Amino acid sequence: MRARSRRARVIAACAAGALAMGVTAGLAGAASADSTSPTPSSGSKSVLTIGTTDDIDSANPFTGYSVAAYEIFQMEYPTLTMYSPTDFSPTPRLAESWTESADHLTWTYKIRSGLKWSDGAPLTATDAAYTFNRIINGKYEQTNYDSYTANMVKAEAPDPTTLIITIKKPSPIMEKLYVYILPEHIWKSIDEKAVSSYKNEPAPGQTTVGGGAFLMAERRTGQFIRMVANPNFFGGKPKVDEIDFKIFKNQDAMALALKKGEIDFADSLDANVYKSLAGVPGVTQFPAVYSEFNELAFNTGAALESGKPIGDGSPLLKDKNLRVALGWAIDRKSLVDKVLGGLGSEADTIIPSMYANLHLTPANPVTYNPDKAKQLLDAAGYKVGPDGIRVAADGTKLSFRLYGRSENDISKKSVQFLKGYLAAVGVEAKVDLISSDALAEKIGAGNYDMFEWDWVVEPDPNYQLSTFTCANRSYLDSGSVTANLSDSFYCNPAYDALNEKQSTEPDVAARTAIVKQMQQMLYDDAPYILTFYIDNLEAYRSDRFTDFVPQPAPNGSLLFQYGTWTYESVQPVTNAAGDSTSSSKAGLAIGIAVLVLVAAAGVVFFLRRGRTGARADDEE
Amino acid sequence: MTLFQEAGVDAAPSALARAGRLAGPSTRYVAKRIFAALGTFAFVVVFNFFLFRLLPGDPIALYTKGRDVDPAQMRALRSTLNQPVLQQFVNYLKNPFSQDASSVKYNLPAWEVIGTRVWPTVLLVGTATLLATIIGVWLGVRSAWARGERFDKVSTNTTLVLYSMPEFWFGMILLIVFSAGVFGLPGLFPSGGLSTPGVDTSSPLGWLNVGWHLFLPVTTLTVIYLSEYSLIMRASLIDEMGQDYLQTARAKGLKEKMVRRHHAVPNAMLPTMTLIFLNLGFVVGGAITIEYVFSINGLGSLTVDALRGPDIPLLQSLFLLFSAAVIAANLFADLLYGRLDPRVRT
Repeated sequence: MRARSRRARVIAACAAGALAMGVTAGLAGAASADSTSPTPSSGSKSVLTIGTTDDIDSANPFTGYSVAAYEIFQMEYPTLTMYSPTDFSPTPRLAESWTESADHLTWTYKIRSGLKWSDGAPLTATDAAYTFNRIINGKYEQTNYDSYTANMVKAEAPDPTTLIITIKKPSPIMEKLYVYILPEHIWKSIDEKAVSSYKNEPAPGQTTVGGGAFLMAERRTGQFIRMVANPNFFGGKPKVDEIDFKIFKNQDAMALALKKGEIDFADSLDANVYKSLAGVPGVTQFPAVYSEFNELAFNTGAALESGKPIGDGSPLLKDKNLRVALGWAIDRKSLVDKVLGGLGSEADTIIPSMYANLHLTPANPVTYNPDKAKQLLDAAGYKVGPDGIRVAADGTKLSFRLYGRSENDISKKSVQFLKGYLAAVGVEAKVDLISSDALAEKIGAGNYDMFEWDWVVEPDPNYQLSTFTCANRSYLDSGSVTANLSDSFYCNPAYDALNEKQSTEPDVAARTAIVKQMQQMLYDDAPYILTFYIDNLEAYRSDRFTDFVPQPAPNGSLLFQYGTWTYESVQPVTNAAGDSTSSSKAGLAIGIAVLVLVAAAGVVFFLRRGRTGARADDEE
Repeated sequence: MTLFQEAGVDAAPSALARAGRLAGPSTRYVAKRIFAALGTFAFVVVFNFFLFRLLPGDPIALYTKGRDVDPAQMRALRSTLNQPVLQQFVNYLKNPFSQDASSVKYNLPAWEVIGTRVWPTVLLVGTATLLATIIGVWLGVRSAWARGERFDKVSTNTTLVLYSMPEFWFGMILLIVFSAGVFGLPGLFPSGGLSTPGVDTSSPLGWLNVGWHLFLPVTTLTVIYLSEYSLIMRASLIDEMGQDYLQTARAKGLKEKMVRRHHAVPNAMLPTMTLIFLNLGFVVGGAITIEYVFSINGLGSLTVDALRGPDIPLLQSLFLLFSAAVIAANLFADLLYGRLDPRVRT
């Protein structure tokens, strides 16, 4: 009898739980429908919700290094200059203008006057000088900004609107210092020891103190980040009140959320997910040109920075003529169509065509021409063997390992096509798909012949160009071979000399000429055969928000740019149709009513059972 | 009369059982179990250290790829990770739960990173395990007792189908039907996450919001998990159903329900108990696929993230936590078993 009533209670509790879930759905659904509705007609605040699969690793600008973290930093903190939305040229931000001394070693920035941090404290050149000096003199602080500050001697602020930075040798980077200027009155109390574990997340109900367009109001790790408009932003208060980043772990759910209006923007979509959004009312698809290139890379003779050979790469691939010939065997147009579904473009050099000012369009294009590839291979002494595979003069077969990345769909498809193209000209590629971690290790040790991978190129070409220098080949760290930036082991003293020159050339036109010369050199020597540039697939609710700013104009990325252009300009559609929202709300209510009914029926069932059971016990 | 009979016949075994319950398993048995658990844990602690060092990878290169990081800087970062293995091992053995072991990716103590993820995991998997246990056991008992009848056929077949279904697939179906909405049915539930941005989750409305977000993932896991309990419960109850002591109970004139509840089910619960405790140990392990489908930030997805790189200090701590949970749950099950079943007390 006692057991019976206990069981009845358990069942009743379960049923009540189910009912509570139903009611939950009702209340919470209704509540959230109100809070996420961005329609201005409702009079509530406007919230742009962005779906992303990337969480920030840290909100501390000295610690975070993920793409998402940099997006948050540039929203919160101003920089001296910013890359323009049209063509990536440096444009004034905190600094209205800048000049360099005749010897190129002293840079003077004129800082805007009358600026305020979000808490009302004045924002002056002193804050900028503080930030630079903290990094120059710090150790931990250098981690993220070393490429900008390693060349600096000191920063000074003789008055609130003047910042003077002294450098060791001339540098073109001084116009593009992507260092986030921090409020001294906040950060001076966080010393070098505390800064490494400092989270820089706001206390409940507050925001971080910043000078950018938005401030962080709340962060739930792995769930969402809420950014609210900064009323003191020097560009004027942004037009939306809040920007939320909602973090998804899978793209299908993200696309679904965009379709039903839970989010307003979806970034970095996979091609198949992107295509599933075609024809969805209110959703605009945007295949943005992007700075990501994909390549077939060769082991051109793996060695340490000292020149000591390492690894087991095929010596045949040291032959430039062989690599160049293979370039003619690759059908880039088909790769774009079949691997990317047409959402990309054919690639030639390592500075993507998106950077129109710096990109070199080679005068001697290597196109798809298998016959020419065969001729070149014949001429270079690689004759077709009895089994159809070519053989070198010393009798070695042209049979190479080709690695792809097992977790990447584009890679998996690419290597299969590449294998076919190479086979068509008598070169065997033995495909092996391994994790990118394992591949990175193989590359660092030189234990490969060919692989497929990609790079995302920054607006300043310095880093990408440096991945081909002799000094950036692998090195010994306490006895073990450690990978460096170079993954083709290309080593050419002439190239290195040009690289040194471009990194110190202050004149834009002169530097551009050198950068193009270096691209040509790599194109001719073919340590990489570039296959395609990949589009950044974005989609957004054009029925709700408008005035997104592409970078570069007219079809570059709308978000996750080198700058915060879209965030400052995006605004709700003024005549937003409330019909879709209201009909979905009605549907929501109906669905919830059904759910509650089901739950209630369950409760009645269990309670009745409980009573009959109790009666049965009584009869015993 | 009935009462007297029941007391009389049951007197001998129940007195024994009561004595056993009071005395519990022997000290030797308990000591043996605890010792075995500690031994396993010690093995895991050591194994754990070397296991992840076999993983290939270069976390610094991965996290900085494509970003203009000075090569000298990269070398400095790497050298902090590349201490001699022996030195690392000694540091680790001194205190495997030390706050000094920092996650490479998050630059925070590994245990702190894990701390923020425990709550979503326990909320998701814990709730589902609890619901699955209650519903599954109930279903199993009913099916076994009505073996061959329609309820049994329907429930056994349904649970078998559910059991064989991949959980991510089932989750995805629920997501499409109840979050996106089909056939004019509106989307009832959110597409993922734990709460709506801006909702204060410490308020009652916030709890409702979390419940609303967790409804689909918890339902998915419950449905998938419950078949395991119901099938095992059904099988072990059917085994018990042919036993003589049940005939004795019936001969006493007990109602079928009493026979089932007070005689058959307690004995048939033993295998299910083992399963329940084993699964409780796995609760903290999270449900990787469901966390992925419903974008829940639990320990399962943290493990997957940590494998990229790899983030060895974080992986190490996670693995230690998972092992400790399973070992603890196992130990608890062993001790409880000793209490419930006198046969395993030596």
